[in-house]
This record gives sequence, structure tokens and C-alpha cells, in this order.
Amino acid sequence: MNTDLLVPLLAAAIQSGTPILFATLGEILTEKSGVLNLGVEGIMIVGALAAFVCAKLTGNPLLAFALAGVAGMVIAAGHGVVCLWFLGNQVVSGLALTIFGLGLADYLGTPLIGQTAPGFGKLSIPGLGALPILGPIFFQQDLLVYLSVGVVPLLWAFLNKTRWGLNLRAVGEHPEAAAAAGIDVLRYRWAGVLGGGFLVGLGGAYLSLAYTHLWTSGLTAGRGWIAVALVIFAFWRPGRALLGAYLFGGVMAFQLRLQAIGTHVPSSLLLMLPYALTVIVLVFASWKSRQANAPAALGINIEPQD
Amino acid sequence: MTADTPLISLEGISKAFGAVRANQDISLAFRAGRIKSLLGENGAGKSTLMSILAGRLQPDQGHILVDGQHQVFRSTQDAIGAGIGMVYQHFMLVEAMTVTENIFLGYPGPLVIDPSRMENQVAELAAQVSLNIDPRARVADLSMGEKQRVEILKLLFRQNRILIFDEPTAVLTPQESEQLFEALRQLAAQGKAIVFISHKLDEVMALSDEIAVLHKGAVVADMDADQIHSKAELAQLMVGREVILQVERDHLEARQRVLNIAGLGDDALKDIDLELRQGEILGLVGVAGNGQKPLVETICGLKRPGRGTVRLMGQDWGSFFQRRRWDGNLAYIPEDRQGLATCRNLSLTDNLLLTTRRGFTVGPWLRHRQAEAKMEELAAQFNINPPNPSLAARQLSGGNLQKMVIAREFFRRPRLIVAEQPTQGLDIAATEEVWRLLLKARDRAGILLVTGDLAEALALSDRLAVMFDGRIVDTFAAEDSEKIGRIGLMMAGSSP
Repeated sequence: MNTDLLVPLLAAAIQSGTPILFATLGEILTEKSGVLNLGVEGIMIVGALAAFVCAKLTGNPLLAFALAGVAGMVIAAGHGVVCLWFLGNQVVSGLALTIFGLGLADYLGTPLIGQTAPGFGKLSIPGLGALPILGPIFFQQDLLVYLSVGVVPLLWAFLNKTRWGLNLRAVGEHPEAAAAAGIDVLRYRWAGVLGGGFLVGLGGAYLSLAYTHLWTSGLTAGRGWIAVALVIFAFWRPGRALLGAYLFGGVMAFQLRLQAIGTHVPSSLLLMLPYALTVIVLVFASWKSRQANAPAALGINIEPQD
Repeated sequence: MTADTPLISLEGISKAFGAVRANQDISLAFRAGRIKSLLGENGAGKSTLMSILAGRLQPDQGHILVDGQHQVFRSTQDAIGAGIGMVYQHFMLVEAMTVTENIFLGYPGPLVIDPSRMENQVAELAAQVSLNIDPRARVADLSMGEKQRVEILKLLFRQNRILIFDEPTAVLTPQESEQLFEALRQLAAQGKAIVFISHKLDEVMALSDEIAVLHKGAVVADMDADQIHSKAELAQLMVGREVILQVERDHLEARQRVLNIAGLGDDALKDIDLELRQGEILGLVGVAGNGQKPLVETICGLKRPGRGTVRLMGQDWGSFFQRRRWDGNLAYIPEDRQGLATCRNLSLTDNLLLTTRRGFTVGPWLRHRQAEAKMEELAAQFNINPPNPSLAARQLSGGNLQKMVIAREFFRRPRLIVAEQPTQGLDIAATEEVWRLLLKARDRAGILLVTGDLAEALALSDRLAVMFDGRIVDTFAAEDSEKIGRIGLMMAGSSP
């Protein structure tokens, strides 16, 4: 394959990996606090819709992007209420959130199908953007791509280099120990749920503001689930999440190109590729590590002490 | 504030949960430089009192004085602020984090942390109080004794003045316990007030400056340790009646071989040889987690033996568990009474039927009424209280549930009994009863008694085997006083 084909493919890989990256980072934050949120898919699509509507009404993509984060937080708060206040089952609550989010976005979004909204365009970084090969791949992307990459070291530093991050990880590992050390465990779990919901919402916004500029039904197309799987693949580490997100982005972009070129492989098989890869990656990750590094108290509610 | 003002005193503390009065009018004082033991059986109100001191519970009546000043603890934060620190029985450490991270957990300071400076601080403190620990080690890689040191350092780092230890020796080898006592004495000498909660009389007698005894939620004694002259006196205070801590045991002729293990090994066990005959109790001692669990699981058919041979009643492991007879056979009394031994939501009758169906079936049908009558008979015979066969297992106290399990297993007239921590968590009265039942069963069975409680092993066993790191370090007769003196060392891995 020559560079004429490869460079656009890699650039597209980064682009289609970015929404997954936001969502994966968000879910890492939530899971590190000990809460399993399987509602990523639902939160993403609500974020996408909120961003789309806001951009259409205000014409301000940055405001729309931020609002998607807030919308993600609001939906994730539902998960917090069920699991942190009422000690509901985290798996069931998360699944319900996905179904709710998809339904809500479908219902509210139907009149918008086919419409466009202002979004983010390409933003070439002066100097770097002019580099051969590397320039078009990495430095001629839109603003949100650069932002998402910036979140990776920030989240890593938050988790590993700050007192809040230390406390949040302790709450996800052993809430009783954290409570005994005087940490308000529920507050940190709320922070994990809401902060995670914010990032997942941003991932949704990328789809409607930068990836397509156009509303269609089922815009997320399973990317939320891929993010849930990627958290395990990434061993709950932000750096590995970046790698995983671009790997999946690459497969997604690759199958689109193959379809465009027109091969003899049926398109439904090509569409399956990212999900097949999800399964393979999960098998590989669990076989290799036996879920090492998973927060020990993941998915376990904090019962009030009597 | 005078020099004699207690660091903390409790005045008239009462706490009730519904109709249960867990603490009644408790007044106690904790002074700097003194080690005070709180002694009491399960359910005497020790843990409620400690939760009140740690700020996790609020008393219904009474108050807490810190340095002679009234104070109300609304949260654990308040108690920590007053200088009270607890070392819980189950360590409150995050296994996946380092020693340093654990010590700094919840400690106020700048938002961005500096690991190397933190590590130096921890190392410095550890050196000051001569508690040896690697600040960079992951807690998951530490031994129980080392984990406890981390807990202590955590308290010291917060400048706590009152250190409360909840049954701290339960998980330690005798050597580690000795080291802990040494550390506690040193801390007391440095002006800390130490509170030592236990139900082990020897330890309390050996360590304390003052002893307070709780019985049924009230303080029945609060005195200097030198006013106590014998263990029996203390036990009587604790239980509220005279107790015999010794059981009569006469020697029985060991007969037919019921268990024979040769060269058993797998990923957790190393070259185990073991023999057990009818008429004897073999006490298997060791710190928990040194291979007792896989060994028991192999003997009881839950785990396939790796290398070597396991023969039960003279039959090979495979054929024994393929054609298992319901009676005259193997009985397993697991450590986990409410998990492995019984189904907590099933009635006692249904729990009886779990392992004993013969005699209660007609074709595919269960004869439930007969089973219920049998259960009632067993309840009377084994003194199970309340003797109601339709109660769910979870409604029985630990001691009564254990008697129910023993009754069920003994009903099958076993020839090999594997009893795992049979008296863990039971009070003295229930312990006595369980001991008697086991000794009686020795008539017709060989008993493998797996226990972490050395006193129990010595009271019951005819022979002892010490386990460490998946090996049997040594096996010897219970009369061999020279080897018995070295059990502690063997439990820590030194060769016999």
C-alpha cells in the first residue's frame, strides 16, 4: 500500500477513534471509583443529540460541545441515584440507561434526521501541519482531536499524581478502608460517575459535531459498547486507552474504505469487523492478565454501616 | 488539665439496637502510657463500644470526654481529629497500593503528591518507632504481620494518641504476636494510650496494665492487671459463670486407618504425607493461608489431587468419591458455616437433607415429615437453641448453627471427620460444647482438626501437624512438650 492510501486511512483512524477515546477515558474514571456504568452507549447518544441541537440553535460549536458533557453528566446522574443512593444493581441500571438513552435520542431526534448543524472543521497546526506524512495524520485534525489527546495525560496525572486521584482509586479498591481513613466515599463515587458521564457525553458530541455534522438515527452504532470493552483492554490505564481507541478507529475506517473501493466481501461482514475485534481483544486481555488491575470493588455497592 | 486526666473517657454510654441493649451505662477511662484491655465474649458489646469511639455510631446516652472536655463524634473524621485510631481485625488497607500510598490515604496535604518525599517520610517514621517496613512495597505482597505494621504506622503518622486494636493477634503467628506486644509496650512508653480488645485470656494477662471486662453490654470489672490472679477468675468474669477451659481427654487405642496421604503435591501443596486412624484427633495447625485450604479441599473431594496418592477408608480418591456411601463415611465441617455448610435461607430440616437423604426418600419423593421429626430429635440431643426445625439457618446464632452442622454430620456416623476452625467466632460456652462433641466422636472416627487456634489444637489433639508454605513441617505426639514449645517457630517456617 502506498502512502497516498495509507495517510488518509491513518488520519481517518484517529478521527473515528476520538469519540471512542473520550468515552473510554470517561468509563475509566467511573470504574476507578468502583462504579460500573454500562450506560455508555446511552449517555453518548444523548450527548450527541444535545450537542447537535445546541449547535443548530446557537451556532456555537464550542458551547454545544460543553453542553454535551453536561447532558452526559445529567444522564449519568440517573445511574448515580439508582446505585449510590438506592443501592440498585449496577449492571441492570447501566443497561437500563443505555436503552433509555437510545430511546430518548431516537424519539427527540426523529424530526432532525438528515439536517445539518455547524461543527468543527480541520485545524492545521502551524509548522507541524506542514510535515510530510506525520502532518496530515496527526496535525491536520479538528480541535476536538487535540483536546481528547490532551485529556489522556490529564486523567493519568489526576489518578496517579493527585491526592483526589489517590482517594478515588482507594474508594474503587476498598471503600471500607477509604472510609476508615476518613474519606467521604460516596462523594468520590459521585465524582467518578459524573466526571465519567461528562467525558462520555463529549465523545457523543464528537460524532455529531465533527465526525458527521449531520443527524442520523443510531449515530453511536455500538461505539459505547466498544468503549466499555476497551476499558478492560486498556487495563484501566489512560495511555493504553489511546492506543486501543485508535486501533478500533483504524478498523472502522478501514472497513469503510474497503466498502468504498468495492470488494467482493459482503458489506455486512465488513461492518462486523470492529465488533469481532472487540470480542478478540476481550478474550486476549482476559487471557493475558486475568483482569489484572481491575478495581477490586468494581460494581460493588457501598452498604451503609449500621 | 492535670497530668492524671485521661486522654479519653467515656461516661455513662448506652446504645440500643431495637430491643437489644448493646451497651449499658458504660464508663471507662483511657490514660496515656497505659495498655488497657477490653475483654468480652462475642456479643458482649465490644464492637459497638469501639464503633462509638471511632465515630461510626452515636450513643443514645452518655458522652465522651477528650482531655477532660466534652466532645461529640458525628463522623469518623471527628474521632480521627480527636486523635483516636483503630486497627481493625480485618485490615483496612488497599491491597493494590503501596505502603506509602496507604499511609497517606485521606491525609490532608497539597493536591499534587510527591511520592519520593512521601516515601522518605514513611521510612523516617518507621525507623523512629523501629517498625521495619519497605515504604515502596505493594500491600498485597506483605505478610499479615507486616500489614499490621502498616496499620500502626498509619495511626502514628496521624499523631494519634489513642490506638485501639481489635483482636490484633487473630492473624499472627506466635512470634509476630510477640513482636506486636513489644511494639505496643514501646508505644505506651512513648505516651500513647493503647486499647487492646481480645477474648484470649493469656494475651490479655500478659500484656495489660489495666483490664476491663464487658458482659452483656455492661462493664462488670475495671481494674489494674495485678489485681487479677488467675485466668479462671478472668474467664468467670467474662462468661458470668464458672467455666472449665480444660476438657477431659483420655487416650484411645488408634485403630483402622481412615486417611492416608502420600506425596501429595500441586501448585499449593508440597509433598504432603499424612495418616489418620479411627480413635485419634490430628490437629493441623498453622497460620491461615499456608495450604490448609487446598489440603482440606482435596481430602473432601472438592479438588482433584495433583501428584501423589490420597486414600480414604482404604479406597483410592477417585473411586471413593465416585461411589460415596451416605453413612459410615466422610463428614466435612467447613469453616464457612453460613456458606459452604448450610444454605442460609433454607430451614434446618432442608439443611439436614442436604447431606443426608437416605432414609428420608420414597422413590423420587422426599419424606419431609420424617426428616423434620429427626431434626427435632437432633436439636434436643445436641442442645440446639431454639429447637425449631422450620427456622431458617440464618436465624440461628453462630454457636447453634455450628451444633446443627455437627449434629447433621454426626447423624451419618462418619468414620473420618474433617473439622475446619470448628469454634471460630463462638463464645466460650459454645466452644466447650463443640469440643466435647468432637472428643466424643473420636470413639468411632478419625478427626482431622484444622485450626489456627493453638490452644484448641493442644486441648483436643492426640497428634499435631504443623503446616507452612504448603508443606507439613513436622508431625508429632501431643505429649512431646519439647516440640510443642517450638510450634510457633515451625509455623513461621523454621525446620523442626
